[in-house]
Amino acid sequence: MRDLADLAVELATRLGADYAEARFHEDRSDVYVLRNGVPEVAGFTRARGIGIRVLVDGALGFASLNKPDRALLERRVREAISMAKASARTRKRPIRFSEEKAEEASWEVKAKEPAADVPVEEKMALLYDIEKALTSPEEVRTQVPFRLLELNVSETVRYFVNSDGARISCRVPRVEFFSMITVLEPEKGTEQDMVQKGESRGWEAVKAWDLPSLLAERARTLGHVLREGTSPPKGTLDIVLGSQVVGLMVHESCGHPYEADRILGREAAQAGESFVRPEMLGQRIGSEVVSVVDDPTIEGSYGYYLYDDEGVRARRRFLIKDGIINEFLHNRETAAALGVQSNAAARASGFDREPIVRMANTFMLPGDHTLEELIEDIRLGVFIKTYGEWNIDDRRFNMRFVGRECYLIENGELKGPVRRPVLEITTPGFYGSIDALGKELGFEAGTCGKGDPPQGVPVWFGGPDVRLRNVRLGGL
Amino acid sequence: MELRELAELALKEALALGVDEAAVAAIRSVNRQVRFANNEVTVSKTWDALELHVLLAKDKRLVITSLSNVEPEAIRASLKDLMSLLAVMKERPDYAPLPEGPFEYEPIPGLYDERLATLAEGAVDLVEAAINSALEAGGKRVAGTLALGEAEGLLLTSKGVEASEKKTSAELVVRALADGESAGMGVTCGTRLRDLEPEAAGEEAGRLAKLSLDLRTLEPGRYDVVFGRPACAVFFDIVAGMSSAFYVDSGLSCLAGKLGQQVASETITIWDDARLEAGLGSRAFDDEGLPTSRKPIIERGVLKTYLHNSITARRHNTSSTANAGWVVPRPWNVVIKPGDRSDEELLAEVKRGLFVNNITYVRFQDYAKGDFSAVIRDGVFLIEDGEIKHAVKGLRLSDNVLNILSSVRALSREARQIHHWWMEWNSPAVFTPLVLAERIGFTVPTK
Repeated sequence: MRDLADLAVELATRLGADYAEARFHEDRSDVYVLRNGVPEVAGFTRARGIGIRVLVDGALGFASLNKPDRALLERRVREAISMAKASARTRKRPIRFSEEKAEEASWEVKAKEPAADVPVEEKMALLYDIEKALTSPEEVRTQVPFRLLELNVSETVRYFVNSDGARISCRVPRVEFFSMITVLEPEKGTEQDMVQKGESRGWEAVKAWDLPSLLAERARTLGHVLREGTSPPKGTLDIVLGSQVVGLMVHESCGHPYEADRILGREAAQAGESFVRPEMLGQRIGSEVVSVVDDPTIEGSYGYYLYDDEGVRARRRFLIKDGIINEFLHNRETAAALGVQSNAAARASGFDREPIVRMANTFMLPGDHTLEELIEDIRLGVFIKTYGEWNIDDRRFNMRFVGRECYLIENGELKGPVRRPVLEITTPGFYGSIDALGKELGFEAGTCGKGDPPQGVPVWFGGPDVRLRNVRLGGL
Repeated sequence: MELRELAELALKEALALGVDEAAVAAIRSVNRQVRFANNEVTVSKTWDALELHVLLAKDKRLVITSLSNVEPEAIRASLKDLMSLLAVMKERPDYAPLPEGPFEYEPIPGLYDERLATLAEGAVDLVEAAINSALEAGGKRVAGTLALGEAEGLLLTSKGVEASEKKTSAELVVRALADGESAGMGVTCGTRLRDLEPEAAGEEAGRLAKLSLDLRTLEPGRYDVVFGRPACAVFFDIVAGMSSAFYVDSGLSCLAGKLGQQVASETITIWDDARLEAGLGSRAFDDEGLPTSRKPIIERGVLKTYLHNSITARRHNTSSTANAGWVVPRPWNVVIKPGDRSDEELLAEVKRGLFVNNITYVRFQDYAKGDFSAVIRDGVFLIEDGEIKHAVKGLRLSDNVLNILSSVRALSREARQIHHWWMEWNSPAVFTPLVLAERIGFTVPTK
């Protein structure tokens, strides 16, 4: 079916497309689920097909098909072109793509222990080991009445071709773990905890996660928070945010609003737009210690790639540099609209999705403090180590994170747990309040959703622990 | 290969491998979308798909697969993979066999529209009509999606089920902005071209955006709220989703352990109705082949049933409600029983409170308790003495699902079918009026 991708580009060009590209994907995903000790239906997904995009008269058309049928391919290419032509009359500003080098490349991630080769028994045994740890009173010292555990072993094989002459092949295996557990302390209530791990590697990554120990530790900690947790303090105080919280905050409040398609309004009806305007490049958004990057090229990362789904070579993007807005995330369309080059942020979650502007691995660069140093001069504060509920408005300006594992800070020392402190803060309020950064950089895995129909793509987000000065906790 | 030929091949091959039971769903679909933003079409898309879903059971063990490579050789290879998985899976203590067919299915009228399936470039005209209407009503920049679908499905099981259905769908969501923050939204959807009202959806979006121009902040606290239909659709999508026995049994539902109890005010009755004319979620049979029906999930505030497939029903010692999902039971059309007032009369009942047209980005601190917060948008207004005073920015809905259900005082009488992007629990459609709830919590950023 790969040859049909070449044919689609030839055909589209012959039929009058100013630009054409085709992606052939062969994706597989094996999912194993254990729910409260019962093996839920395990499932395989095998997806194979072609996605085609054409630019005609300044308008975009997209079509996908999974049947390797030349006549059907021609029909869908013709339709993509005729729909684009019909749409062109609505465009006051024709869509253009930035000029990019036509790359020819082949790249792949080589797993040390290919996860697809690991026997199913071993994969299920891992889930049973986690189940055993979570139901062992000695291990968790609390009750864990609900346990939903999922393991996903996947691989994407892609071939990209476009009318500029680019041809790129890749193969990326990924492993992912997801869990949602409920911890119960009688008369104290419940807390729920979500864990997601993901890497572009093989089974060696899953082993290194040491999931039974990790989940038992999380359950044990939440039991302690439930038993001993007190109400968070009121008034103005200092806050130390754990690396996990910082990672999601930069993903939501720096990564998303710096996506140029959001800035230009293309996602207005769904995920929303951005408080950031093109003319804000070079303006201060945070304190001088803050720098945020997005980097697809970190080996083994969940969001890893070397060429994006428009065939542009990937590189690190400096979104915030020393507190200044430095760069947006671009595909070829937004790059042309703003008069720059693409920085290879175009990603498609599958053959049947158009490539749109996405993050890869977004993180705040670390500083030089230990956790003790971040805390030592805080008279009254809270250390928010992990989060539960979070959201951010559609302009990415007003966000809320509710703490899960959190501790009181008094006179420079960590004290007992506090329950559910609410950090409700604006984006400039957050970046402007940071005065010190930890030196350890941590990453979390996530599946970032965007687009219509929605596209979930694997990402990492991360950062160090950070200290915020003079913040008031929110909530009712 | 034709749909039937494909499904029969997969079922035959599966049974030849020695399984106890098998189910095969073959679906052919052509879906189209015209997306727009800044008053221009941004992209038009067509998806042509032929997919196969297979469930195999042997010795109380279950596996499933979804295939978009439906070449006979690929099907055989995938079934072999599945058999090797079956061999090492563990027995399920809650195993239940597939329902014994065959069944008779009563057809549902109005689910297929030839005109919609062959609209082609005419879709751009509908989008232009919506954009122009939104601009005339006061929007400055208009964005949205027109989605048109056509699907034909065939379900065969080793228990004698043979069920087929052909459907079309149409959805148009319009969001208008009068400036960066002042937004409004309109939705129109159904299964036929004539169900779509692009001008009305555009007008609603544009009018709400214009009304939102006078934006002011408001102090956090508890307010009486009239929820607009897009907001109600998001909220009741969650309530219906949480009635799925899968989520109840996974600690992801605040309705767990509450069967037969009062979980909402007496004004609230919610049905799951698979048999509505023009319903986006209408279907004559579920994924196990059982004939679907209409049933109350909540009746006068009392939780009447969870949604089940055969396995969750076995676990709960009851019968399937014909809401399978092979793994997760799910609602079809979620229908909220309307009240007796007009929209205007409902708003007139608010002394000092809010109108919240849409809620998005709902995230839970605790699914089992129902504690959550959400972003509010697309028309948020302060109401005083029943009249809109000004638009409101900066507030966030921060409350609890059960508390909101119990706080509903009244509903308006006009229910409309709604489906939009932020319905993350995947109900195909919610039929809802406006809802008035009392003393709902709202918070603000502190810095």
